[in-house]
Amino acid sequence: MRLSHWLNVPLLIGLVLSGMSIYWAAPVFQHQADPRTGLFDPLADVGVWLCAHVPGMHGYASPPDWVYNHLSLGPGLLGPALRIHWLCAYLFMLNGLVYAVGSVAGGGYRSLLPRTTDIRDALSMLRFYVGIPFAKLTRRPWPHPQFDTKYNALQRAAYFSVPLIAFLSVVTGWALHKPVQLHWLVALFGGYDTARILHFSLMCAYAPFLIPHLVLVLAAGWDTLRSMIVGWSAETPEAKE
Amino acid sequence: MKATDDDPAQAQRTDVPGVASLFRERPLEQLELPSRLVRRSSRRAVLLYGAGAASLVGAGSLLPPATLGGLGLSTNADRTRREWLLNQALRLDDDIAEALYSRDRMVPTYDKAQITPLKNNYNGATPDPSYIAEWSLLLDGLVSGVSLSLNIQSLLARFAVHEQITRLVCVEGWSAIAWWSGLRFGDLLSAYPPVSQAKWARIESSVNLDSAGNRDPYFMSLDLATAGHQQTLLATHFNGRPLTVEHGAPLRLVAPMKLGLKNVKAITRISYTAEEPADYWANRGYSRYDGI
Repeated sequence: MRLSHWLNVPLLIGLVLSGMSIYWAAPVFQHQADPRTGLFDPLADVGVWLCAHVPGMHGYASPPDWVYNHLSLGPGLLGPALRIHWLCAYLFMLNGLVYAVGSVAGGGYRSLLPRTTDIRDALSMLRFYVGIPFAKLTRRPWPHPQFDTKYNALQRAAYFSVPLIAFLSVVTGWALHKPVQLHWLVALFGGYDTARILHFSLMCAYAPFLIPHLVLVLAAGWDTLRSMIVGWSAETPEAKE
Repeated sequence: MKATDDDPAQAQRTDVPGVASLFRERPLEQLELPSRLVRRSSRRAVLLYGAGAASLVGAGSLLPPATLGGLGLSTNADRTRREWLLNQALRLDDDIAEALYSRDRMVPTYDKAQITPLKNNYNGATPDPSYIAEWSLLLDGLVSGVSLSLNIQSLLARFAVHEQITRLVCVEGWSAIAWWSGLRFGDLLSAYPPVSQAKWARIESSVNLDSAGNRDPYFMSLDLATAGHQQTLLATHFNGRPLTVEHGAPLRLVAPMKLGLKNVKAITRISYTAEEPADYWANRGYSRYDGI
């Protein structure tokens, strides 16, 4: 299970980078050509804007390609991008299967299921997070709410919805990949172009999870990060550095 | 966290049978670990391991390439292995696409009201229409052992014309719904049967140009299982009118169960083969089956 979690890191990086190179080729997201610049790709616009407004980026050689040069394999690489996307996608699906089987066999799914007390608990967690900076500034003690479950309500909501997002990413991906043989799947997602937009939006939906996930794991300290790798967390006084 | 066997409340809760117990969280397990293990995985220790590994890699990469090759750390081999892995994934994906395909499963069709514009997607330059006047289709790899040359009039006179409104899907991610008419590839296969061992058709357009306007013949492999599908057309008409040069006059392939790049325009030759023929885009790192 833990291995399956960490495998997601290289797989998702591969999927996102190659996915952005596939996006580069897809006109579904494009708008009417800008009369001044002749550009029709929203991400090219982003690159141009960044290079015009961010200090230190004014000299960039090809502003429309900035996003693709930094957040994808690069522009004009559809062929290699597709191969990497398929490789990572098959491994990602296999990994998802391992995760699903593992969480059922090991009973880990129990910690992720939503509970009736979740809304109240989530609000108390939110209040805790919002209050941290003020408590630090005023040097007041700010205790973490106590729960008798493995995860708090916010964690549970996140860890429950991310596998769901992953599942939907895979299914919309299949709708795009085999729109003729799996045409009922395309219809389910409201059409071929809509399925592509959904697939892209689902990728964006990882970000609101990933950023707090990384910040909080680092903030929680070494014992938590180690527990994500080895599977146990220490309670002995000598482990508390 | 502390779940002990002599806690009666705990024991009662875990003993409840039935559906509810499927959803209830179990108490965390208490492990006894030797303090040695905890000390070895302290943050300071792991940072030291990391620094050690990084300096080994850093020093190792300074070694001459010949030495690295001798140690089995050659970067060329890595590249070959990576290529191999990527190609395996592509083959697996093609095999899955082939397993999904069925000759009996119909491709979705649309109404005339759903037709969308179809752009001229000649990869390079559009050929000069002068080829159309002297166009003929060369057929070889036939059971008769002779090559045949057919012109458009004889094709239209001999075969029934079918029409369909299907979606053409491009590898780039766009698609267009278009109204095609023409003869069924399957009818051509029955009228001029290929050699018995043939499993493939190599479909070529010798009039294709590259982006600089030079001759760049376009060739593509098509499995005969797909060629025989009743919605695989050798189209002569687009949206009710004879094909224009942009859309592959006078004869083009319409195989809506394949990506657009398999739908060869201005076909000049069809050869039947036992071995899988080369494919323009597969040579450039794309899939060779392209089933959608």
